[in-house]
Amino acid sequence: MTSLPLRAPRIFISDRPLPWLIPLIAILVVFALYPFFYNIYLSLHEFVPRKRELIFVGIENWERLFEDSRMWGALWITLLYTGICLAIQLVLGMVIALLIDSDDPGFGILRGLLTLTLVIPPAITGMMFLLMEDAQFGVITYFLQSMGFLTGGSILANNTSALVGVMLADIWQWTPFMVLIFVAGLRALPTDPFESAMIDGASSWQIFRRLTLPMMSKVIAIAVLIRGIDLFRTFDYVYVMTSGGPGTSTYTLSLYAWQQTFSFIKWGYGATISLFALFVILIAANIFVSLTKTRW
Amino acid sequence: MLLSPTQRLLRAFAAWAVVALFVFPIYYWITVAFKVEREIFSLPPKVFQFTPSWKSFEEVFGVSLGFENGLEVIPGGGNFYMTPRLVDSIVVAFFSTILAVAIAVLAAYALSRMRIKGQHHFVFWILSTRMMPPVAVAIPMFFIYKNFGLLDTHIGIILIHALMNMPLAVLLLKSFFDDIPTEIDEAALIDGASRFLIFRKIVLPMAMGGIAATAVLCFIFSWTEFLFVLTLTQTSLKTVPVVSSTFVTSTGTAWGNMAALGTAAMLPAFIFVLLVQKNLVRGLTLGSLKQ
Repeated sequence: MTSLPLRAPRIFISDRPLPWLIPLIAILVVFALYPFFYNIYLSLHEFVPRKRELIFVGIENWERLFEDSRMWGALWITLLYTGICLAIQLVLGMVIALLIDSDDPGFGILRGLLTLTLVIPPAITGMMFLLMEDAQFGVITYFLQSMGFLTGGSILANNTSALVGVMLADIWQWTPFMVLIFVAGLRALPTDPFESAMIDGASSWQIFRRLTLPMMSKVIAIAVLIRGIDLFRTFDYVYVMTSGGPGTSTYTLSLYAWQQTFSFIKWGYGATISLFALFVILIAANIFVSLTKTRW
Repeated sequence: MLLSPTQRLLRAFAAWAVVALFVFPIYYWITVAFKVEREIFSLPPKVFQFTPSWKSFEEVFGVSLGFENGLEVIPGGGNFYMTPRLVDSIVVAFFSTILAVAIAVLAAYALSRMRIKGQHHFVFWILSTRMMPPVAVAIPMFFIYKNFGLLDTHIGIILIHALMNMPLAVLLLKSFFDDIPTEIDEAALIDGASRFLIFRKIVLPMAMGGIAATAVLCFIFSWTEFLFVLTLTQTSLKTVPVVSSTFVTSTGTAWGNMAALGTAAMLPAFIFVLLVQKNLVRGLTLGSLKQ
């Protein structure tokens, strides 16, 4: 190293970060910022099939959005889906994490097996559950029927249970996500406080409630943030399993936006819904990040 | 907490039972790939006892595996012939990974080592691209691609998948670079080495494990992506997750073939995820949690 000349060209020894960041900035501008502004442009226009062109409509799409009961319905379904799945995945994830956080033989294999669900294409997971929840020969349907929980009819064809059927796929695929993150968090905890708590005769529940949970708060916050964002954006499962049906009972915001654009040729309105979803998620995530003081 | 031998046994039993519940759908799906139609539709559902058949795989890959007699496989044809779609998937995942990692590795080094004005805001901007609902990118991108002739092209999907993986790649690589002590860089800088030389000769080799893990995760996410491929392709390419939904036809669903393709799509991902086990949590949380 010492043999290198000290008078290397300024650009190479300088600490200017810009040259390093230019490729990243370029791809973010072209593939994130430009589409964002193009989306705003689209939301101010609407495709008129008769004229085969986009016509400027001002804020008509936005006015329509706020009066569209199906949009509010889709938002409600999305929030319901996000909230319920998140709660179940959190609780289940924590319980399973506490269960498999052990150095006994075989537990490493168990953690390895749990990672498998995470890398299955969600669309294929949707197919798996579509088959397993099939009205006639689905293995889950069969199981529920023989246990007496389900009397006739199919899970996905019923207005109230269809969303549960979709959630089942999500919960199956992503609970291990929580488990793995929580196990990593549990393993990183210091042992001293737990030892002294046990000497003081604290019960398991007290230890969990007063020590484990507070010390895991950062880990939990990150898991909630990432999973919450992904749940809110859900598209694959509903597209594959129900296409929003029956009726509109499983329409998520993403699916509604997509169908308006590509199935009903409402280019501008679909773009408006997708922008609305974007704003909701950005605002919610920002509030969450500042409340929990999550830092990257 | 100290457990008695009985408690430990109970715990192991409970843990295996829970994991079995999570593995079961995968197992069941793979059995469907090996079942003939009659057995897929049998009641009660056949979970353990069935006669394995390679028929579905043979139709999907267009090859005769020679395990059964009297089976005709249409070479390079048939409605369920999906080998080209697997090739599409591999091409897209491979090149989008290379692109994402190549761009991200430079940016991550700068973010890890240099003082950048407004770094916090910049990182948050990167992070916010991870928050965008894919549909809010796919809709405008459809029209942009249409205007630029990128619709239905490999390069179009490679670019959008690289973008999709960018937040993950940048933040994850930054966390790996942060693990390498800066004293090494500083010593070399004082000796007159250029930033690029330090990057190439010192930091890159030291971060090789992290870069490999990042690449594997990018590959997996491109491999499993659905919405962009669904929206931005028409006929000339389709990746496995999207094409598997076309097995649902008006005359019924070809479950066996779909499961065969799905199984073929899962296996490489399973192998990959077991390779990055050590860095998986860090990857899933975009570098914010270390194992």
